This record gives sequence, structure tokens and C-alpha cells, in this order.
Amino acid sequence: MSPNPIGNKVEQLAQSLAEHIVPLIVDAINIDAILDKVDIEKIIERVDIDQIVERVDIQKIIDRVDVQQIIERVDINAIVDKIDIDALVEQTELGSIIARSTTGILTEVLDVIRAQGVGLDDFILRWGNRLIGRRRKVADWPVGPPLLVAPEAIARP
Amino acid sequence: MTTVPVPSPALTVGRQGNYAGAVSRLTAFAADVGASWGIYTLGVLLLNTALKLITGHSYTLTNHQLAAFIVLTLWEFLYFTYQWAVSGKTLGMAILGLQVVTKEGGPISGRQAVFRTVGLGVTLFLTIGIGFLGIVYQRDRRALNDFIAGTSVVYDWDARAARLRWIARKDGPAGAGVPRRGLR
Repeated sequence: MSPNPIGNKVEQLAQSLAEHIVPLIVDAINIDAILDKVDIEKIIERVDIDQIVERVDIQKIIDRVDVQQIIERVDINAIVDKIDIDALVEQTELGSIIARSTTGILTEVLDVIRAQGVGLDDFILRWGNRLIGRRRKVADWPVGPPLLVAPEAIARP
Repeated sequence: MTTVPVPSPALTVGRQGNYAGAVSRLTAFAADVGASWGIYTLGVLLLNTALKLITGHSYTLTNHQLAAFIVLTLWEFLYFTYQWAVSGKTLGMAILGLQVVTKEGGPISGRQAVFRTVGLGVTLFLTIGIGFLGIVYQRDRRALNDFIAGTSVVYDWDARAARLRWIARKDGPAGAGVPRRGLR
């Protein structure tokens, strides 16, 4: 507060006037009319969004988000109930993928059975001939018919 | 994802065209016996049902044992001969990846298919299976019916592709089995 008593009074008067006049002025102003005159598009064009985004610490925001809480609020069952599985299968190649994977499994099973068979074939041939003392002779036997195997495989050392 | 270990190359790659062994061949034969019996039983059942619908009477082949024996023998003859003549392999052999070829390795004729089927009956019933020992003790791994028909049996499955499939699996190379000591 000013030490001058006249000054104080003038100051109080001015303040009192302002308190009465300012609301009158504000009430008189038509904000909508002013806003209508403002070219918002031009202002938006001037705003550099990239600069704003650069200033924002996205990681900090993500850290603040409680994902678990969001998940708990989502009704997964309701979403799943809304999915038309048949339509989904029809629209995607899921059917052919399932068929392909089934064929793949069958092929793998066949491969396993065949490989096991080949292993047991060798075992029986080796031990069957070992039992009658023909182990060395078996090693000289041809591995296949002449038209199907290479000559070196037929006449092995 | 399956975790079947990769068989050694000795069991897969390069086995195509090699003489097939006893286990594969007898397993294929067992599968064929099962398949032919299954088809025969189904056929008899369908025939009985059809006859019952038409005539109103039930006929069962078990009541006519001689007829049943003849029909079954003919069916088995047809089952093996037809498949060997057409593709050189039966259903069981296709599953196990086997193929009947001439003793030189060429495709077999219809005549050889007939002789092989007759020879199979001889090997099974006249020698009580002893004729099959040639698969283990004969240098061309030929059983008696193979000698009768001039044929031999080889591995026919695409072993190279099978090995690539194994290796292509995610856990393939890591789960590779220890190379086994084979004949090759």
C-alpha cells in the first residue's frame, strides 16, 4: 500500500471502478462473434505438431498406464461371443492351413514309421547274419538292384 | 511341435532303391492282411444287407465255409495281384514306402504280379513262412515268392525329402539323433 493517503484513495477508487466496469465490459463482449472472426485453420496450420510430440515424453505416459487394470476392465468373453468363428474361417485361409498342418502331421508320422522300419531292417539283417557267423559276408552284399543303385554301391570293396 | 529326433542320414537319405529289409516288408504285409480283411468284411456285410433288403432272407458266408474260403482266396489274390500289377506296391507297401521291382530293378509285369501272389501263398502255407527267411539270409534280400516271380523289394519313399522335412523343423538340428551304425 502507498504511504500517500491521497494516492491510497485514488487507488481504491480505481479498483472499485474496475470491479464495476470490467464485468459490464465482459458481459458486453460477444465471444462467439470474436471466435467466428478468428481463422482457426490458419492457427492450426502454424502449429508444429511434430515439435509438440517431440517434447512429449511418451515413455513416461506409457509407464503411467496400468495395462493390467485396463485388461481387467475388458470383458474378453463378451468379445469372443461376438466373433463369428465360421465366418472367420470362411473369410480366411484358416481351413486350408488346418488341412495343410494335418497333412504335415500325417507325413511326419509316416516318415517316422518308415525310418524306424529301416533302422530295424538293418538291425535284423546284421544280427540275423551274425548269429550264423556271416557278419563279414553281409558287408559285401549289394545294397540294391543294378538298375537302381550306383555301380560302386553294387561292387563294394 | 513334435520333438522327434532327426534320424541319421544312413536311415533316410540315399536309401531309395536299396533292398528293403524284413521288418518293413513284414509290417507292410501285416497292414495288407488287415486292410484286405477289413475290406472283405465290409463287402460281405454290405452284400448281406443288400440281399436281405431285396429277398428278405439273410445269407451269411460263415454258414457256407467252402464258398467263404473260395471267395476269400479269390479276393486276396485280386487284392495283391491287381495292386502289384498296377503300381508295383500294395496299400501296406505304400504306407511303409516299399516297391516291388524286377530283380534288375525295373517295373514288374502283370505276369510277375500273378506269380508273386501265387508265390506268396506258397511261401506262407507250404513252407510255413520259412521261405521268408531269404529276406534276411539271401544276398538280394529275396523271399521265396520273389524267386518264383523274379522280383525284389526296394525302399521307394522319398527319404531325402523326409530328412529335409525333419531338418526344416524348428527343433530339427538340435534334436538330431546320434548317427547309428548301419550297413552303409
